[in-house]
Amino acid sequence: MATSQAPTRQAITLKGSCSLVTEFFKYAANTILFQRGVYPSDDFHMVKKYGQTVLVTQDLALENYLDRILKQVNKWLLTGAVTQLVLVIISKDSRTSLERWVFDINVVEPPSDSTEPSSQKPESEIQAEIRSILKQIVSTVTFLPIIDDPTVFNILAYTKDSADVPADEWVDTDPLAIEASKSQQVKLRSFSTDVHRIEAMVAYRYEG
Amino acid sequence: MASNPKTPSRFRSRSDAKTPLTPSLISSFNAISLSPRKHPADLSNPFLARSRPASPVKRATTGAAFPSSSGVTHGGVIRKGGVESRLDVVSHDYHPPKVNQNARPELKRSRSTPSTRERTLSHSSSHGDRFITTREDDVAPASLSSTATANLAPTATSSPGHTARLANATGVPLNRRVLAYHEPPPASSNAAFLTTQRNLARPLYSRADLPSSNGTWKDKSRKVPTTPERVLDAPGMVDDFYLNLVSWSALNAVGVALGESTYLWSADSGVVSHLGDAPQGTYVASVDFSNDGAYLGIGLGTGAIELWDAGTGQRLRTMQPSDDAGGQCASLAWYAHVLTSGHSSGTIHHHDVRVPRHLVATLEGHAGEVCGLRWSSGGEVLASGGNDNVVNLWDGRGGDVGATTRGAPKWTKRNHTAAVKALAFAPWAPLLASGGGTSDTCIHVWNITTGARLHTYQTGAQVTGVHWARDRKELVSTHGFPGNALAGWAYPPPSGSSGSRTGAGAVAGSSSNAKIFEIRDAHDARVLFSALSPNGEVLVTGAGDENLKFWRIWEAKEAKKKSKAKQETSVGRGILSIR
Repeated sequence: MATSQAPTRQAITLKGSCSLVTEFFKYAANTILFQRGVYPSDDFHMVKKYGQTVLVTQDLALENYLDRILKQVNKWLLTGAVTQLVLVIISKDSRTSLERWVFDINVVEPPSDSTEPSSQKPESEIQAEIRSILKQIVSTVTFLPIIDDPTVFNILAYTKDSADVPADEWVDTDPLAIEASKSQQVKLRSFSTDVHRIEAMVAYRYEG
Repeated sequence: MASNPKTPSRFRSRSDAKTPLTPSLISSFNAISLSPRKHPADLSNPFLARSRPASPVKRATTGAAFPSSSGVTHGGVIRKGGVESRLDVVSHDYHPPKVNQNARPELKRSRSTPSTRERTLSHSSSHGDRFITTREDDVAPASLSSTATANLAPTATSSPGHTARLANATGVPLNRRVLAYHEPPPASSNAAFLTTQRNLARPLYSRADLPSSNGTWKDKSRKVPTTPERVLDAPGMVDDFYLNLVSWSALNAVGVALGESTYLWSADSGVVSHLGDAPQGTYVASVDFSNDGAYLGIGLGTGAIELWDAGTGQRLRTMQPSDDAGGQCASLAWYAHVLTSGHSSGTIHHHDVRVPRHLVATLEGHAGEVCGLRWSSGGEVLASGGNDNVVNLWDGRGGDVGATTRGAPKWTKRNHTAAVKALAFAPWAPLLASGGGTSDTCIHVWNITTGARLHTYQTGAQVTGVHWARDRKELVSTHGFPGNALAGWAYPPPSGSSGSRTGAGAVAGSSSNAKIFEIRDAHDARVLFSALSPNGEVLVTGAGDENLKFWRIWEAKEAKKKSKAKQETSVGRGILSIR
């Protein structure tokens, strides 16, 4: 009883929703890095998550790096300062951005007049939505262009102007956009908790 | 006598082509390429400053300076200024520098010029600037007063109008900051493994090295030994691009000219024999075996041609140049009983070696020294390349022509931009490959019959020799500066690099696709002389580093095992000297 109670609680509170979203980013980023070959595939090991196996890096350096980023993202989520997270895959040699995985973060405004939470989404439903996004990321391999050159990635956070930014850790940067004429965009599924709504999209460089 | 003025000129041209020139060339290129880069940068900044987008740039610097100097509070001032007083741009343009100047006087000095510039700018903006349209004034200041936009807009294109348009186009609100973590993601621990793995895991259709429909087989897995099978000392080998000092006969003997002496090295037995010396005061400029390998023609610096019996080591005759022969005989080519010689004056002579009056024809088609000369295997055509960057193809049918006959070339090509020494006829198709010198670095492939240029390989280095494979659709080229390399090329170059289009003048792109193998630094000096073994498997190269090296580049497919056994024995012999 207690176990089933905890997740539902998690989904409705802000804190719980933030950690859920953060966790989703962790697995989504890992899936992208694995599927797009940014890191070699045997850097990853399989982990049971969301009722399916997800490949997660076991490279300690990368793991720590992602953790540090997501910790700050979590803080921003709590204040509602972050509006978009972008994972950009960049060609290592030419430094051109090849793919942009965009996750829009929308804060769902709770209706102020209602006292009791009107729509309580069950945890299982959220998990199913997350699962379908992750599966969609996996399936994008079928249409995304094959990347031949070595690549690196970069995680960008679009924050509000008033965001509290740790000055020595996060720096303002170029959006690393792909030229509009050479870019194709595919919208992926979305998922929502009671507080957040995450919409996923991938834009990739396609000339021809 | 005639040779004496020629020889210094030869050496002068040689030193011109050699390394002393190249660094100076490069440095001058650097100077050229750097100076325009500086100027636009210098010009662009004043321009930016004058036409008002300097203010976002300025903001960017102040905004960046604040978090680094004293954290969030100063940043808060900026942001407040941006968000709250959107209409009052001018006053907030003033404020941040003042705070800065009060806080730290050392910044004042460094910022003095930008701040004055900003002051004038703010004035100009308040009075209205003739460079800026009113529309931009309406749109830009409100959005630009935030630090976010200044940071969002890349500094190179930070015109306010551009930023606004960019924001409109991308749908990114301007009061947003784009942040990235300060350190780049860690590299994978085994990056080298990743590349091999990618190659293995790549789907079949994305691999470039598939056989194409036109018969090219670019098998990258093919191993070409990158070390020579054998190295021979060749002391005194002249380091002169225009000479042709190595020949390999059908009887499997290598003829090498070292200075004024000529040596034969039997590839079967490894025995070295000293064939003979050039007369006093001159040197050997070219050697070539007759088609049956029984005779060796030796071209001298005086323009005379000696005929030697390779079997007995006897000099059979010396064909003195006629009066109008011009200078050293830098190239020789045999077809049956006709020995063709190319001279430094640009004339080509046909000598019938059987008759006393040996000079049967003279071909005038070059203005510079003829350094490349090749008969097609059937004797139909003769190709010549000269220091005048010209490739000529001559009809080989001499007929009843007298000594005074002046032939005209079948076709003339002036595509090369440097001396053409490398010439080769394909044994399996009517094709001629020609390679140009340092300033050209191209190998052109011509159709013999039509003269059409079919393909071009950009080699990136001086082409000193080119040879076709006998039983593969490949060619190998030897190179001088830079690289001193041997390179193998697929023919035709793989499609996709736009090389296989049949239209005249199709160029094989960067040619990197076409390259099958490359042996870099094959010699310590430029690889000048090369000859293919009679079985078409081994290439011998000679260079100014006084080495002869034997490269087994094309292993016959059926005789692979045999040759491997042979290789082992030959390795045991090690380095031999032929002198």
